[in-house]
Amino acid sequence: MSARTIDSTDGRLTVEPRGEHLVAACFTAMASPCEVLLPAIDRPAALRLGTLVAQEAWRIEKKFSRYRADSVTARIHANAGTAIDVDPETASLIDFAGQCFQISDGLFDITSGILRQAWKFDGSDRLPESKAIERLLPLIGFDKLQWRSPRLLLPAGMELDFGGIGKEYAVDRAYDVLAADRKEPFLINFGGDLRANRAPVHGAWQVGIERPDTDREATMILELEQGALATSGDSRRYLLKDGVRFGHILDPRTGWPVAGAPRSVTVAASSCTEAGLLATLALLHGNRARELLEREGVRYWLVQ
Amino acid sequence: MQLKPKISPAKTAGTRRRLMAASCALLSAGAARSQEASAAPAGSGLLEDWSVDSALAYYHEDGRVQAIEPVVNVSKIFADGQSLSFNATFDALSGASPNGALPSHSAQTFTSPSGKAAHAYTIAPGQLPADPRYSDTRFAAGGNWTLPLTRADQLSVGAKFSVEDDFVSGTVDASIAHDFNHKNTTLSFGLFNEYDSLHPVGDTPVPGSDFASLVRTGGKSKDGVGALLGVTQVMTRTWLSEFNLSVDRFTGYLNDPYKITSIIDSAGNPTGYEFESRPDQRTRKSAYWENRVAWTPQLSTALSLRHMSDDWAVRSDTAQLHLRWSWSNREQYIEPSFRWYRQTAADFYTPFILDTARQSTGFESADSRLGAFRALTYGVKYAHKLAGLGTRTESEFSVRAEYYQQTFNEQVPVPAGLQGLDLFPGLKAILVQFGYRF
Repeated sequence: MSARTIDSTDGRLTVEPRGEHLVAACFTAMASPCEVLLPAIDRPAALRLGTLVAQEAWRIEKKFSRYRADSVTARIHANAGTAIDVDPETASLIDFAGQCFQISDGLFDITSGILRQAWKFDGSDRLPESKAIERLLPLIGFDKLQWRSPRLLLPAGMELDFGGIGKEYAVDRAYDVLAADRKEPFLINFGGDLRANRAPVHGAWQVGIERPDTDREATMILELEQGALATSGDSRRYLLKDGVRFGHILDPRTGWPVAGAPRSVTVAASSCTEAGLLATLALLHGNRARELLEREGVRYWLVQ
Repeated sequence: MQLKPKISPAKTAGTRRRLMAASCALLSAGAARSQEASAAPAGSGLLEDWSVDSALAYYHEDGRVQAIEPVVNVSKIFADGQSLSFNATFDALSGASPNGALPSHSAQTFTSPSGKAAHAYTIAPGQLPADPRYSDTRFAAGGNWTLPLTRADQLSVGAKFSVEDDFVSGTVDASIAHDFNHKNTTLSFGLFNEYDSLHPVGDTPVPGSDFASLVRTGGKSKDGVGALLGVTQVMTRTWLSEFNLSVDRFTGYLNDPYKITSIIDSAGNPTGYEFESRPDQRTRKSAYWENRVAWTPQLSTALSLRHMSDDWAVRSDTAQLHLRWSWSNREQYIEPSFRWYRQTAADFYTPFILDTARQSTGFESADSRLGAFRALTYGVKYAHKLAGLGTRTESEFSVRAEYYQQTFNEQVPVPAGLQGLDLFPGLKAILVQFGYRF
């Protein structure tokens, strides 16, 4: 009876009031603050719903993390050069990545993470040598994989990185879990990538999106009733050489940063995965980001 | 400039449409799989999804008993809203336990069955008589299962048992909670039933019998039933109020089989002792009110008040205040607490029996827990969240210390022979507890 509080932490999940009418279940996953926003309900109910979402987020993080020795990613890397069978979920993610590779003419490529070996975006002026990049280029290209679901052969030396889609995918998966359980309004927010089922009783969801302006961090407030928002871009990751700013968005086909990429792009779509991909693709289009977004008729917010 | 790539934007204007189709394929495949998966959940690692709360406590009464108590509690909230929890406690208690007799200006010798075997002990003049070889071990375990019945109703059932060297106790309980008023109000109703069985060392004394003549019977039992009615109300988003009424009734052998009462002559000299004799039923009623308020994200308080009264004329009041102050993004908090308690004596409580009044066959007990006293408890707890273990993102270490001080306020006229003796020494105790939750 008495073990119910409105302001205390409970292990891995925190439940706290948010404004007048909302309560948030908060946790950390994929190195991001994550939360589920719900209309004010009692703490056990909020904890239970938060647990559903957190378990799904942690499951996906654990499964696809580059940093865990027991992840699917680690298993794929450990078996580079030999054919292995992957589980259905991994298979559908690889299928999806393959489609994105095609749709984007090779701009979106989950094998491009290896460029991290050459590029360290630490704010310094240390550009990699062209040779270092050229050595890596043969190891990049989704079309170099031998992929026939569920059998994968990753050529030796190549890497797969699901990081570019993992967080958005996790939002959508967690959304499905919660939507199956609950008809009342909710909003899932994993570090700025978010999705809501419908508007709360007291108007739309107010969403703060970090706005990476040059000098100061500001937040722009967007109103969302339902659907997903995803943001790509990070103004803090760049190199500066001879007055030229090299952003961290790399073209996998050249190994070099995309010229004129916006600082950040936020896109609205029906699913978070779709929104995330559109935002990433826009960044990869560099100074033609706005052109792409306009042509595709996307709702977007762009910070140059 | 080195940036030489010539990027051709995706030629087709159908980029979005094709991405939407690909996303749909990915997500619908996931939804289908999760339905299969939920039919056969994979359990990897015994404690993987359970949260574990463990603690080790050390309790020390000044000049009396001490105890070491490890506690573990594991719990899990399932995806369908059910929750399950189990707990286990082990106590090892040892030291000197007051037997109820009064101090005297002369030495007193007692032959006691308490402890592992009958033994005799002598108490020096002026000292409070206590069995110096008191020891007991207790193991207790319990479980609780909470099950949502509808969106607004929740059923909870539990069972617990505890075993001591000379005592076995079992309790079952059930409660139902109903949410209404947009889940801002919760009404709950619960029932419990407890059954205890006593097998004191050297058998159970007959209540009121002479300590020296050892008139004893076999094992005894008592049982209790109780009910609780509670309402929890969210007053504002930062204020939660809870009000409970409860009543319980115990019947059977309600004596402490090791407690005796001094019989003194008119001069105050002990002439003998007799076992305590309590009524064989007791009905208690209590009211409890608690308010939790989060003043700021960093500061919250919990204030609770309780009033209890029973048909033995014991009335007690408790006021307790907890203050929690957290900092560095709530990774650390410190929680000072203060508790004030007062009770009146049972109507049959007496620190001694006058020889001349010996004929009365009424109830009597010199057990100080039935006397009138006040108690203050000062406590502080500090907790620090740490990095998680394995898949757990968080764990918490805590340390708690409490100081308890009990003072008696007896207004009994004392015979001349007992003047100058500390008849009602209070009690001072400390508790230190280390906890780890993951």
